Amino acid sequence: MEFEAVIGLEIHVELNCTTKMFCDCPNRPGDEPNVNTCPTCLWYPGAMPRFSQDVLEKASLLCLGLGAELQPKSAFDQKVYYYPDLPKGFQLSQAHLPLSRGGGIDITDENGKPKRMRIHHIHMEEDVAKLVHEMEGRLPISLVDFNRAGSPLVEIVTEPDFRAPHEAMEFLKALRTQVRTVGSSECSMENGTMRVDANISVRPRGTSQMNTKVEVKNMNSIRHVGDAIAYEFSRQSAAVQAGETVILHTRLWDPEKKATLPMRAKFEGPCVPDPAVPVIQLSSGWIEKMRSRLPEMPAVKAERFMARHGLTGEEALFLSSDAEVAGYFEALIGQGIAPRTAMHWLATQLIPAVKDRGQELGSSPVTPARFAVLLKMLSQNEINANAAREVLLHLFDSDEAPEAIVSARGFRQVSDHATLDSLIDKVLSAEPAAIADVRSGQGKAMGFLIGQVMQASGGKANPKIIRELLAKKLDALS
Amino acid sequence: MDSIFLYRNPATAHTESGHLQGLKIAIQPNISVAGWPTEAGSNALVNFKALEDATVVQRLRQAGAYVCGSTRMSEFGFGLQGSSAGDALRQRAADAELVIDLMGESRIAASRAAVCGFKPTYGLVSRFGLVGLIPSMECCGVLAVSPKNIRDILKAMAGPDELDFSLPDEKVPDFSPQTIDPRNTTIGIITEALSALPAGQEKVFRASMDELKKAGFALREMSLPDFSLFSLVHRIVGSVEASSSAGRYDSVRYGQRAAGAKNWNDMYLLSRGAAFGPLLKSYLFQGSFFQFERYKAFQDACRIRAHLLADMQRLTSQADFLAFPAVDCAPSDAPASLSDTYTQFATTVFANVTGQPALYLPPAPGLARTGFQLAGPRLSDARLLALGEHLLNMRQGGK
Repeated sequence: MEFEAVIGLEIHVELNCTTKMFCDCPNRPGDEPNVNTCPTCLWYPGAMPRFSQDVLEKASLLCLGLGAELQPKSAFDQKVYYYPDLPKGFQLSQAHLPLSRGGGIDITDENGKPKRMRIHHIHMEEDVAKLVHEMEGRLPISLVDFNRAGSPLVEIVTEPDFRAPHEAMEFLKALRTQVRTVGSSECSMENGTMRVDANISVRPRGTSQMNTKVEVKNMNSIRHVGDAIAYEFSRQSAAVQAGETVILHTRLWDPEKKATLPMRAKFEGPCVPDPAVPVIQLSSGWIEKMRSRLPEMPAVKAERFMARHGLTGEEALFLSSDAEVAGYFEALIGQGIAPRTAMHWLATQLIPAVKDRGQELGSSPVTPARFAVLLKMLSQNEINANAAREVLLHLFDSDEAPEAIVSARGFRQVSDHATLDSLIDKVLSAEPAAIADVRSGQGKAMGFLIGQVMQASGGKANPKIIRELLAKKLDALS
Repeated sequence: MDSIFLYRNPATAHTESGHLQGLKIAIQPNISVAGWPTEAGSNALVNFKALEDATVVQRLRQAGAYVCGSTRMSEFGFGLQGSSAGDALRQRAADAELVIDLMGESRIAASRAAVCGFKPTYGLVSRFGLVGLIPSMECCGVLAVSPKNIRDILKAMAGPDELDFSLPDEKVPDFSPQTIDPRNTTIGIITEALSALPAGQEKVFRASMDELKKAGFALREMSLPDFSLFSLVHRIVGSVEASSSAGRYDSVRYGQRAAGAKNWNDMYLLSRGAAFGPLLKSYLFQGSFFQFERYKAFQDACRIRAHLLADMQRLTSQADFLAFPAVDCAPSDAPASLSDTYTQFATTVFANVTGQPALYLPPAPGLARTGFQLAGPRLSDARLLALGEHLLNMRQGGK
């Protein structure tokens, strides 16, 4: 029997608010343990939560950015569980009335076809404390760090629309881009600001049944999410084939063993409304105000790049999926660079070079202004492409103006006919065999000759002019 | 005296001036005072000292009152088992007491001490710093000899608090003195509220209504057929809220950790198990049963609560006030079971379900009558207390 996976994702995103969700403590989980705490986020008896407006705004923007429908009424419930990372025994979470419903992200599936991954709802909840396990001599001890307790989270719960690891990974990449564009979170799985749980079940391909799911946690990169899903799919398929029953439980991904290991029986009770936090009521005016604060989302931006700058869908997607790249591209256009040139040089030269140096595009010494000057010199034939690549490397290491580098280091393109004629003559006299090849119609030989002239010029010759002059000479010789 | 007080304020007097100057107020140890033991009658919090003052304490002190100590209380204020509420007043060790009212504790304690007891409108008084159990039902009640004292105390305590966002944005009643004109005032009596009374008690209550009649008030019989559901709704919703929100009283941080546990899950279970008393435990068990096994019943109870609230709103729009009996229906001196406890508060629990204000008035001294409760619509607190003052003045005016 052939199986297919049915996958839904639950993604916790930590909002980058200055304060925690229900108190004024700084939202900086990475500080010295237990410095960012107060009676409210230590959950002392008698403390009352005070819901932060900033959290509501950042969470709402995130929902709108994912195309979700903000609900006019949402509320917090007490989600009961007992564990030392949650000493008050319940987490404030929106179990019954979430902040938003619906929404989704368009991705490209493994066959290159567009596919919409739907979001079921997005709700807010407070983060719990962090447990640190250590040894005190030979005695294992567990320490609790409350810096993270009460940090603002949203949980994005998808529909079970995913069928393959690829789809989950594409979704997460796009989600990360969109949330970063909105500015509500850094969404980094590596540093824990985005945490992904996957609910996975299997069924015979072609059926529509929903079988018992297994929850997989503890993946700390998008790659791991893909690996864990792939592993869990084959594990469950094999189990079902062997006649075993899948039971509802939680498993942890072990990146060393590259396997999921059982953790605990999954237990979730219904939640009770918490009257300590007022019901959140959003007016349509407020929602529209939030919508007007929304930056242009990647999909919209890609459409615009295609329509206005004549880029292909693929190019537009590449540029729009990273806010920094899109911003850089637009800055180049603003400096009068042709869209295709800007796109090509960004994708093939600048971004790889920035990555090689471990830099970020936005803070790279190669600012759009400097890079634009370089590209202008290229398009005006003052330098050739070889030289432009060389000058780009210099731009990283020195703060000199591109023109100065070109002049000082002799990168200026040689277009002078007399100089080039003499170089061509030298090459032609040295390569009689190639001339014969050209005459017998071998196109490659022409390229070889141009390359030789270029080499003779120290890489500075204008290739277009070489070709013209060379063609003329060969005609004259025949 | 130590049978009354758990803790006495080491400072012997208070120096700020205000309209409560000279008033000595006892609180319960489920109301936070920075540095005071705040154990809320439970072993689970036996080592907990509050870090901050509750808003009510801070406001009373600002108004000049002296908070003289905290009195012994039932576990988390649920019922009156082990509580000394009212004793400090009776023995003149305090001029007023704050008693958190979860199901009628302030009013029944007042009836035992033969003083006035008041439960304000839910949401009128900040809950910041109150160690709660049933968040949607409980609020800070006041016991005092006269409704005027209660009015003065409410004037200090009531109103918006930036530390308690749950307070609705409503107009706070004006607690200045006001007059009540009996000729323009109707007081309703809900027939079904009397049917549950122990034998003979209905007659006694009717007799006590003579006082209102003689004072010139118009009495009006009214009907709320589902009155008996108030107890049931409170019992289901209250226990579920308690079992959920009492999670924070884990006995691990401020109580005593049980020894001999194999792992931390065990340690949590054993510590909580050892900390709570039998009455609270059975309440929490009941609550988790409804939450995890009969959630639908909890949802039904919430829906019925909304209906009861609408019914009560209808009645309070047809009369200025409502009169209710206030009978301590405890089947024994020390009700220990959950059912006994709910029987004890059968006449008071309605106001916790609806959130409306209710005032217990003791009987006039020397008369073989019982006291009774007066209730009004949401935020009628100031008028309700004015009515109480009016009735007490009538008494002092000699019949």
